Amino acid sequence: MLRLFTVTIVVLAAVVAVLGAALVAVRTVRTVRRRKLAALAAGPRRALLNFVADNGHDGGHDLVAIPDHAWRAVEPAALSLLGKLRGEAHLALVSVFLRRGAARTALGALHSRSPVRRARAAQLLGDLELRQAVPELCRLLTDRHEEVRVVAVRALGRIGDPAAAWRLIASLDRPDPVPSLLATQALAQLGPDAELTLSAALDHPQARVRAVCLNALGQLGAAGAVQRVARVLREDTVLDVRIAAAATLGKLGTRSALDPLTRALIPARPTPLRAAAARALGELGSPAAVPALAALLDDDAYRVAHEAAQALRRLGPKGLAALREVVEREKRMAGESGAGAHARPSPARAHAQEALALAAVSGAAPSGDLVAV
Amino acid sequence: MSTEAVRQLLFVTDWAIFAYFVALNSSYLVLIGLAGMEFARHLRRQPFAGGDDMFRSPLTLPVSLIVPAYNEGAGIVAAVQAMTALRYPRYEIVVVDDGSTDDTFERLREQFDLVEVPRVVPGEVPYRSQVLSVHVARDHPETLTVVRKTNGGKSDALNVGINLSRHPLVCMVDADSVLDPDALLAVAKPFGDDPLRVAACGGVVRIANGCTVVGGRVVDVRMPRRWLLRIQVVEYLRAFLMGRTGWSRLGGLVVISGAFGIFRRDLVVRVGGMAYDTIGEDAELVVRLHHHLRERGEDYRVIFVAEPVSWSEAPASLRVLGRQRRRWHRGIAEILRKHRGMIVNPRYGRIGLIALPYYVVFELFAPFIELAALVLVPLGLWADAVDLEFAWRFALVAYGYGLLVSLVALVIEEVSFHRYPRWSDLWRGVLAAVLENFGYRQVLAVWQVAGAASAWRGRQAVWGSMQRQGFDSPSVPPLETVGPGARPR
Repeated sequence: MLRLFTVTIVVLAAVVAVLGAALVAVRTVRTVRRRKLAALAAGPRRALLNFVADNGHDGGHDLVAIPDHAWRAVEPAALSLLGKLRGEAHLALVSVFLRRGAARTALGALHSRSPVRRARAAQLLGDLELRQAVPELCRLLTDRHEEVRVVAVRALGRIGDPAAAWRLIASLDRPDPVPSLLATQALAQLGPDAELTLSAALDHPQARVRAVCLNALGQLGAAGAVQRVARVLREDTVLDVRIAAAATLGKLGTRSALDPLTRALIPARPTPLRAAAARALGELGSPAAVPALAALLDDDAYRVAHEAAQALRRLGPKGLAALREVVEREKRMAGESGAGAHARPSPARAHAQEALALAAVSGAAPSGDLVAV
Repeated sequence: MSTEAVRQLLFVTDWAIFAYFVALNSSYLVLIGLAGMEFARHLRRQPFAGGDDMFRSPLTLPVSLIVPAYNEGAGIVAAVQAMTALRYPRYEIVVVDDGSTDDTFERLREQFDLVEVPRVVPGEVPYRSQVLSVHVARDHPETLTVVRKTNGGKSDALNVGINLSRHPLVCMVDADSVLDPDALLAVAKPFGDDPLRVAACGGVVRIANGCTVVGGRVVDVRMPRRWLLRIQVVEYLRAFLMGRTGWSRLGGLVVISGAFGIFRRDLVVRVGGMAYDTIGEDAELVVRLHHHLRERGEDYRVIFVAEPVSWSEAPASLRVLGRQRRRWHRGIAEILRKHRGMIVNPRYGRIGLIALPYYVVFELFAPFIELAALVLVPLGLWADAVDLEFAWRFALVAYGYGLLVSLVALVIEEVSFHRYPRWSDLWRGVLAAVLENFGYRQVLAVWQVAGAASAWRGRQAVWGSMQRQGFDSPSVPPLETVGPGARPR
């Protein structure tokens, strides 16, 4: 048994020594590699920055002529710039990548067996905003690896081709769908040409699909879809979808959204829907919503009363006047009953005071409102 | 009982202890191996992780950062300034001053030009103290809220913060934490990637002592000067960074540090907020979420993100370290007792069958076994149940294996994140991994046993205080102040 212990100790000592050596080796290799890469990238990096600073007017040929091994050293910086640049500089840098054959290579890598390679290629094609890649990227929406599907969605959004709308919507109707927020963002990036497809998808049997399309319509500001969205708010059977419809109507900002949102405030509706409708009325910006919102200030549900008060604050002078009226009325009543300043404020007054104070701090109301409360 | 029987018993016990040490270190090694795989996966996917897209997207879920503060005057301003500079599209900071007796609030008021506002505090999660006043930054009323309340403890402060938070995600951050600029983006990202299933996400906490902090940001990472802190650096690497990443990969993460963790607000409200009956309220919340969601058969995930990080000040004296470790172990004991129904219960899946039993055997009992070894091996030697040859080999294998585990953690850190760029820090890390075995672990075991014992005796939990050094922030200008110059009431 002692022999076993001795052998174990020797093995442990050997492994510890190997680990110590590994630490030194890893550190040394990294340092040497970093220096080598820095030296290799110094020239190309300067050329790249000059090119971008010059909005891509000059120096493109030099970048294309950089040998592959040196380009690999500077490629991460170039890719990072590609994601950040807009306008002429972006187009010029895209042209450099295309002339270097990056798109061809990436299109080929979309068929790689490695999910990491497929995802990297999809990312690059999205950054290059290459419309020819849309069919291939749509194919990746059904990839067996989630991370590849996610990158494909982002890339399609970046390219912004409305032809991808239906495929993106279909990718939500799977047992393992792409993330809703990501899909919403991508669909919104497709632009106004996708509005018809999104409106049509409001009848989709999957609640998740309807909710995403509603949010995307809101992001797009698709004012033409108000009636359809209002119908969803009125008739849909899934609460989350109705809440999304209320939020969308608020974002669309048209007068015709006022009536359906006001109807959604009635006490028979679920609390989260009423709170969402109150918030949406604040975003809508119509002073006509003031009476309905003011009536909610003493609502039993905290979220509803809070959202109503904040919506009134956002509505500007008329909303603020309604808030002040609630505070003043209660002060008068307290004075008449003899309770004076010691009276405990009602929930309505408390919510009104909170909103008025926030308005005063943010400069939307006179600073007197802050003192008055 | 005959002398021979006692000898036999000591002999068997010593072997059992040896087997326990081997199993314990092997389990660490497995977790660290899993963490290594996870880091490799994370680094390969970094180029297409989509952090920038998330930063630009108007749909990224907004976050409420909740910062409980009790006598944090030394570092609170730098901490909040650093938080205001985080790279995240939309978030608010809610500082809850839990009845500080120092100048925590005054410093905040002066720096951020706070103005008092009336606020309705909803009772969505219970709180016991009295909210005295709510203040907002005059220039950023929607971004910074400071709540003053009577002292009620950390759980109470967090519950008040949860009540006053407005966003769908709540991130709990210690007031002495310094977050990397992309830290919030990283911990919130899993919620964007998988919004329906991700319930909570923990971020890694590293030790800030010794690092240079400028403008509320760690700009130069170094090993601390004191060996007590260097040993803690290695310990954090092994247990927190690697251990929790390993558990996350196994789908069995039950601890998210209160210093940096993010949760879905609706779920936190649904389970009743932070608990008052345990001093390990952060881990307890995670176990309670598991409890709640598993019972309802919901599909969910609790995730750990290894990079970027939150930096925290570690105890620099034995006295404060002792208090911290007694508290931590007491927390483990309380949580395991409170949720004992989950342990070895198939209804709770991996949490009930793997994670919690592991915590009982290899976390809760580990200091007891370590102390038992320190007593029983010499006793066996004295009683002639084991000979000296066995004893020194036993010690060498047990501690040598522990050293090996620490070195593997250091190698993985070096390969993946290599946060300590100096050669000298590398050697210090290796030496700290060796020194940890001579005195540190043993003293730690005594404190941990005391912590567990106080939980079982049901003694009143005391947080205690830690003398903060604070961080310098010379280069960050104060938030610009506009409007009337009058001070708030």
